[in-house]
Amino acid sequence: MKKFKYLIPKTLDEAVSLNQSHEGSAIYVAGGTDVMVKIKSGKLAPDYLISLKHIGVGSQLGVNRETGALHIGGLVTHRTLETSSLIRLQYPIIHDAVQRIGSTQIRNVATIGGNLVNAVPSADGAIPLIALDARVNIYGSAGERTVDLVHFFEGPGQTVMDRGEIVTEIVVPKQPSRTGGAYQKFGRRAAMELPLIGVGVLITLEEGSNRCAKARITLGVAAPTPIRTLSAERYLVGKEITENTLNEAGKLAAEESRVRDSVRGLAWYRREMVEVLVQRMGVKCLQRIKETEAL
Amino acid sequence: MIDDQERNGKKEIMEEFTVIGKRISKVDAVDKATGRALYIQDLKLPGMLYGRILYSKYPHAHIIRVGTEKAKALPGVITVLTGEDIPPVRLGFYKDNPLLKAGKVRSYRDEVAAVAATDPEIAREAISLIDVTYEALPAIFDPEEALKPEAPLVHEEHKTNLLKMPWSLHYGDVEAAKLDAVFNVSERFSTTWVTHCCMGTSGAIADFDHSNNLTVYTNTQIPSLAQKDFQETLKILGVKDKRVRVIKPCIGGGFGSKLDTYAYEHMAILLAWYARRPVKILFEREEEFIATSPRQPTVTYISMGCDKEGRLLYRDMSMVLDNGAYTSWGATTPSVMMMPITSLYRVPNVRYSAKCVYTNNTYSQAMRGYGNPQATFAIESAIDMLAEAAGIDRVEFRRINSNQPGDVTPQGLRITSCGLPECIEAVSKDLEFGRSRENGVGVGLASLIHVGGGARIYKSDGCGTIIKMDDYGKVDVFTGASDMGQGSDTIIAQIVAEELGVQVDDVHVFHQDTDICPWDVGAHASRTTFVAGNSALGAAKKIRLRLLAMASKATGVDEDKLVLRDRAFFVEGKPVLPIAKLLRGSHFTPRGEMMMADNFYDPPNENMGKDFRGNMSATYSFGTHGVRVKVDEATGKVEILDYIAAHDVGRAINPLLLDGQVHGGVLMGVGYALTEQVIMENGRNMNPDFRDYKVLTAMDAIHSKAVVIETIDDQGPFGAKGIGEPGCVPTAPAIANAIYDAIGVRIKDLPITPEKVLAAIKKKNGTVSCGIDAFTQKEQACE
Amino acid sequence: MSREIKFVLNGAQTCVAIEDDWNLLYLLREKLGLTGAKEGCGRGECGACTVIVDGLAVNSCLYFAVEIDGKEVLTIEGLAGADGTLHALQKSFVSNGGIQCGFCTPGMILSAKALLDENPQPTEADIKQALAGNLCRCTGYVQIIESVEAVVDKSSGDINAVVRETGDSD
Repeated sequence: MKKFKYLIPKTLDEAVSLNQSHEGSAIYVAGGTDVMVKIKSGKLAPDYLISLKHIGVGSQLGVNRETGALHIGGLVTHRTLETSSLIRLQYPIIHDAVQRIGSTQIRNVATIGGNLVNAVPSADGAIPLIALDARVNIYGSAGERTVDLVHFFEGPGQTVMDRGEIVTEIVVPKQPSRTGGAYQKFGRRAAMELPLIGVGVLITLEEGSNRCAKARITLGVAAPTPIRTLSAERYLVGKEITENTLNEAGKLAAEESRVRDSVRGLAWYRREMVEVLVQRMGVKCLQRIKETEAL
Repeated sequence: MIDDQERNGKKEIMEEFTVIGKRISKVDAVDKATGRALYIQDLKLPGMLYGRILYSKYPHAHIIRVGTEKAKALPGVITVLTGEDIPPVRLGFYKDNPLLKAGKVRSYRDEVAAVAATDPEIAREAISLIDVTYEALPAIFDPEEALKPEAPLVHEEHKTNLLKMPWSLHYGDVEAAKLDAVFNVSERFSTTWVTHCCMGTSGAIADFDHSNNLTVYTNTQIPSLAQKDFQETLKILGVKDKRVRVIKPCIGGGFGSKLDTYAYEHMAILLAWYARRPVKILFEREEEFIATSPRQPTVTYISMGCDKEGRLLYRDMSMVLDNGAYTSWGATTPSVMMMPITSLYRVPNVRYSAKCVYTNNTYSQAMRGYGNPQATFAIESAIDMLAEAAGIDRVEFRRINSNQPGDVTPQGLRITSCGLPECIEAVSKDLEFGRSRENGVGVGLASLIHVGGGARIYKSDGCGTIIKMDDYGKVDVFTGASDMGQGSDTIIAQIVAEELGVQVDDVHVFHQDTDICPWDVGAHASRTTFVAGNSALGAAKKIRLRLLAMASKATGVDEDKLVLRDRAFFVEGKPVLPIAKLLRGSHFTPRGEMMMADNFYDPPNENMGKDFRGNMSATYSFGTHGVRVKVDEATGKVEILDYIAAHDVGRAINPLLLDGQVHGGVLMGVGYALTEQVIMENGRNMNPDFRDYKVLTAMDAIHSKAVVIETIDDQGPFGAKGIGEPGCVPTAPAIANAIYDAIGVRIKDLPITPEKVLAAIKKKNGTVSCGIDAFTQKEQACE
Repeated sequence: MSREIKFVLNGAQTCVAIEDDWNLLYLLREKLGLTGAKEGCGRGECGACTVIVDGLAVNSCLYFAVEIDGKEVLTIEGLAGADGTLHALQKSFVSNGGIQCGFCTPGMILSAKALLDENPQPTEADIKQALAGNLCRCTGYVQIIESVEAVVDKSSGDINAVVRETGDSD
């Protein structure tokens, strides 16, 4: 294992400037659960780790009263999201995902920002956030910028972030009323899984009807990055949400997926599961909309 | 409450025990709950070096050159060894596995070089600096392909990939029985590699003293046989007539993985020999997955037939076993498979042959059940199929064919105590097999027979015990048994405490050290409670007799009027003499005597003859598992709703520990059935971590119901039989049978993944293709 | 780079010089002689190294030692009382068969402790979820889960719901 120095900046700007002064030989670290494994295995060999845990920003979790948007700091742990009643009650699609990431021990430490930056194709944390049209605030030496999460990923381990940039915040815009979302991670055992496939569905219904006003169908492990399946989404908009239309959306999503064979699962099976789970998550969306309305 | 009289008939008196049959905590549990227990991970010796092994980069290749110059030059590196540097140490009972390979590697896990350094990080770096030039050879990974004449040879000198182990038996006349049979089934089943996944990884420390006596600290299930293996290595090093001491720290799980000695242990010895310092080799998790031996994969062809009443007439089985590149005990698992094949249910005509085949895969080892899980998967799946063919209810079919006390099976196994009928009843009653059910839900059952009274694999199946008592009535028991977490120390302490009228806390069991403890052939074949228990019981009886004689002399009361319990002698319910006082009296007196006894117990079982006949165990354990599953027909996922495991254990010495063996066995069996597999691609282990090797988690845990059937075995210590392995033997076929009951598809290849289930459902519904892969543009078959 | 950190270890103020690249497990086992936490995989997939940092169960093998500066760390060695009295969870694991080989036990008990501190009346599902990151190969988890259930606040009334089906033979 390569030896490294651990730097502890106290502000965001200090972190960025430390990164600049160790150009190419430093990486940021938050919870460190992924970074540590990669260093141990030799996949990463930095001279410096720059800790983001003490920069004083990125730990916020709450709804902006003016905009109604949900703000999740980049340093918020999965466990904080899992145990937040705000997330559980108002954003169950996020709760679905975060409660099944790693173990309690991992979730106590690992951050949502780290999960996004890690950019694995499964990215459990990202799938629901993409469905919610989340944007990512990124800070670097050139200042702050905002990127739609759906455009954040470029490939396995690849994002739009420039060297030295930091995910400070994820912002989920206020969702229209009559919106329901659900995510399922599909694996071989009940916990400690990387998914064979991950499926997130978010549906907004028109007022007073079962007609779909907006749909998001997002997939993990269906392509080199998390993806939206636009053809399936477009298909649903304007249609009654029924078992049939959800089935059809499932088929379209399966066709649009670019699943592959790997040690973890076969392509044909993954495609089948996209079809099945899009339909099931769609049904769950409807249930959740009804439950919310019944309150 | 078990009524002995009702169960057994032979028992005249209801026995009352103070310790036997109680839910007593494990004697080592407090140390383990407080972090005090020391494992190989926790041991360090002064001046100790850290060893590390370099493995092959090819599954089959000539080694052209091993360049060690850079590694040797690295500061902190003390010793670097290659196959050219060391005398020809060969491992395994077949001696086909050179400790360090020279000339040729035959699998990815082949050891090519080893280093010892002052620090684990330096050792790791040194390994990365060793330059090996290989010349790749064609390799063979499929055991059936490996039998073809054109297949590359793994060991050229053998001229064939077939091991010369003629596992073949024929009792009765199978061909004639086939003509008589009214209903027949004929099927192919397969099982793949699964691995022990001991939570504590493998490790050893070797240490020579100045006279070249060797001490090895190692995780082993076979201290006395390991001592012998290490002596052989010393002999090859030219070190003769020296002592070898094997010390066994706490073991982080065994399950059969430590039944042999391995390269890392012998490598630590050689490195310590050349470095003249203690050397520790400790596996990392990935190494544990790659360089330890998994359960033997099998391809099984079975045909079985019955008459019109459903009585089994014959069982005809043949198997091909993937031995891997070298030979360990996995190659001898057919000897145990013969037991269920010839003797699970009454079947008069049996034929069996097995071929163990060299391939360029990892070499296999025994794992919990020693071949029995593989054989029982095929047998019990086929039993269900045959019952269906005969139109007989599955439970009834098993009742008709159940073993009974007094049976002698075609292999010559003498069935004495046998609770199989009761096990079948318990399961069928609990799961209500006839009950109507919802869609996708099904029930299944499967039974087992296993050695319950030792297993005579070697010339001896013996175990020694020494007991001594001190001035205070405390008892030290030195046993040959190996506690690796299963709780044998506790069982032995209970047996001794019961016999000597003391409490379990008064008994200290030593099992850790060959310098102190007597000889034993190892913790295998679910033999420890029976064999080590009888050995300890015999020693305790000797002490008890002496104590009684002394107490009679001291008190003037006849021996038969003295009752030994609660640390004292009682006469008519009143304590008259504490044991401690008696012992002090015997020590502090002219011409006194020391209270110590030894006992060597070798059970009355038999080695198999050339015809593979022989009563290999003094008694047999039986059991039946039943399971209710729900199959998600859209995803192929199997959910276990209820699980019941009924076992004939003779007597439950400690129901708390017994439950633990059953629950643990069941979940390991569920993993075998549904999720676990070492994914081997062209000889390479593709999932050497807990992320992709699917050991089940607490969230997957099944609240299995453990039912104990007590048959009070005549030979067993207080009537007990073995239970270590049976819990994972019938799990996979019970689940496969339940899936068939649920959705009408039968999966014949383990593990039963959702992919296999869904593909089978599609096939049943007439769908063959699973569509075009959008990425590769290729048609995808469903299977 | 060497640096000094101060933290509370099993109730005692501790000051120790560390290297930046040490993880907490290494610090505990190799430098402080606390070998109760085990390394089962080194990458957060087995939970044998679990300790409690500021009330949260973490994998010490993936926790930077430098990050415990100013924090409180509880290891299995610090769970029993100063007079040796076992913690209720330790007692329960001992008496309910929650321990076989024992390698997973320290981590398992600490995961359970963190759960009960946060949620004194967990359901069986909560317990399973909290222990999902602690692998055990011996027990099938049944008696581990029972061990935790047995110390759940008795007033919840649900805790004796675990039926012992094996029926003592005495």
